[in-house]
Amino acid sequence: MAAVSFPPPPTIVDAPAPSSSKQSAFSAAVSPLANAYNRFSSWRASLGLPGPGTVENLGKEAKQALATNFLLDGARADMTKVLSVEPAFQVTHSFQLASQSMPSSYNLATVFATQDTFMQGNVDNEGNVTMRFNKGWSPSHTSKVQGQFSTTPGHNMLQLEHDYLGSDYSLNAKAINLSPTDGTGMYVGSYLQSVTKNLAIGSEVLYQNAGPGMADFSTSWLAKLSASDKSWIGTAQVQAMGILQASYWHKLSEKVEAAAELQLIAAPSRRDAIATVGAKYDLRMSQLRAQIDSTGKVGMVLEQKIAPTFMFTISGELDHFKNAAKIGVGVMIESSSLTPEEMGMVPQPGSVPL
Amino acid sequence: MPSEETKERIIRAIDIGRTVLHYGWIPFVIYIGYTRSNPQPSLIKLMSPLA
Repeated sequence: MAAVSFPPPPTIVDAPAPSSSKQSAFSAAVSPLANAYNRFSSWRASLGLPGPGTVENLGKEAKQALATNFLLDGARADMTKVLSVEPAFQVTHSFQLASQSMPSSYNLATVFATQDTFMQGNVDNEGNVTMRFNKGWSPSHTSKVQGQFSTTPGHNMLQLEHDYLGSDYSLNAKAINLSPTDGTGMYVGSYLQSVTKNLAIGSEVLYQNAGPGMADFSTSWLAKLSASDKSWIGTAQVQAMGILQASYWHKLSEKVEAAAELQLIAAPSRRDAIATVGAKYDLRMSQLRAQIDSTGKVGMVLEQKIAPTFMFTISGELDHFKNAAKIGVGVMIESSSLTPEEMGMVPQPGSVPL
Repeated sequence: MPSEETKERIIRAIDIGRTVLHYGWIPFVIYIGYTRSNPQPSLIKLMSPLA
C-alpha cells in the first residue's frame, strides 16, 4: 500500500464557553479522543475503500455460475402468476414428481415486495411453512426474519437477523432459535472490512448454547480478493475445526463465466476434499451451466427460454465412479393478468398483427 | 431470573405465536398482496393455477 499521509486535523470550533467548570473538564478530557476519532475517520474516508459486500454473499458469484444449485431431480413444473409489478406480487404453484430421493410434492409460494419490504411464504402439501420477511429501514440497515414451521415437532426454526452496511465494512448479527427463558440458541456475528481496494478480510463468530454447560464458541476467518473492475473474485473461509472453503469466479466475457470451488476438511477424524470446476454461458434465449468435480461427477443444466413466459429446463448429472445418473426436466410457465402496458413493457414490433 | 410461572407463560406465548405464524403467514402475504396490488386482481385469478 502506498504511504498515506494523515490529513490535517479538522479544526473544531468550540461551543461558547461552557457554563460549569465540570463540563469544561469533561470536554477537555474527551477532546483529544474526539479529535483522534475525527482524524481517524477522515483518514479512513480519504482511502476511498469500497464496500466489501456481505458475509452471506461471500462466494455467491461462483455459486451462481456452477450447476450444483440448479440441478433438477425428476420432473418439475412451476406456474407463476404475476399479479402486480409495482409493488411486486406473485403466486407460484409448483409440482415435483418422480424424484429419486424425495416424494412427490406440491408447493405454493407467494411473494410480495416493495422498495423496502420483502415478504415471502411457502407451504407444501404436508403443511410445512417457510417464511421470510425483510425490512429495509434505511439503505444501510436491514432486518430479516426467517422461519420454518413444521407439522412434525422439533423441526421448527426461527432466525432473526440484522444487517448493517457501512461505507467500507459490513456487520451482521443473527440469532437462531433463541429462547428468552433460558438463553439457549445459536448466535452468529460477522464482520467484513475492506483493507485495500481489492482485499477484504473478516471474521465470523458462532456461539451455540444448547443448554447448561453445553455452550460452544467457534470462530472462522474470511477473505475476499477481487479485481478492481470486478472481473474476477476469489474468496476463502477457514473454520477453526480445519475446514477450508474457497471459491474463484472469473467473468471471461460478456456471456461466459467460469467458476471453481474447493472444499477441504482436514480434521483429525476425517480428511476429505472436493473441488468443482464449471462454466456458465449466457446465450440469447438460454443459459447453459456445465461442471465437473473431483469425485468424477459431470453435471449440466440447460435453461431454454422458448417464449418470454415459457422456460424449459433439462438437467443431468452422471457419476462415473458410482455408475449413477440423475436427470431432470422442468417447465416454468409465467402467466399474467396484466396487459403489456401495465407491466411496463413495450410490445415488440414483430408481434404486431398485420 | 424470572419465576417458573413467568417462564411457563413466555413459553406458552411463543407457542401461540408460532402457531399463528404457521397458519397465518401465507394468508397474510396473500391478503397484503391482494389489497396493495395495482391494479387489484380478481379473486379467481389469485387462487386458481389455470385461470
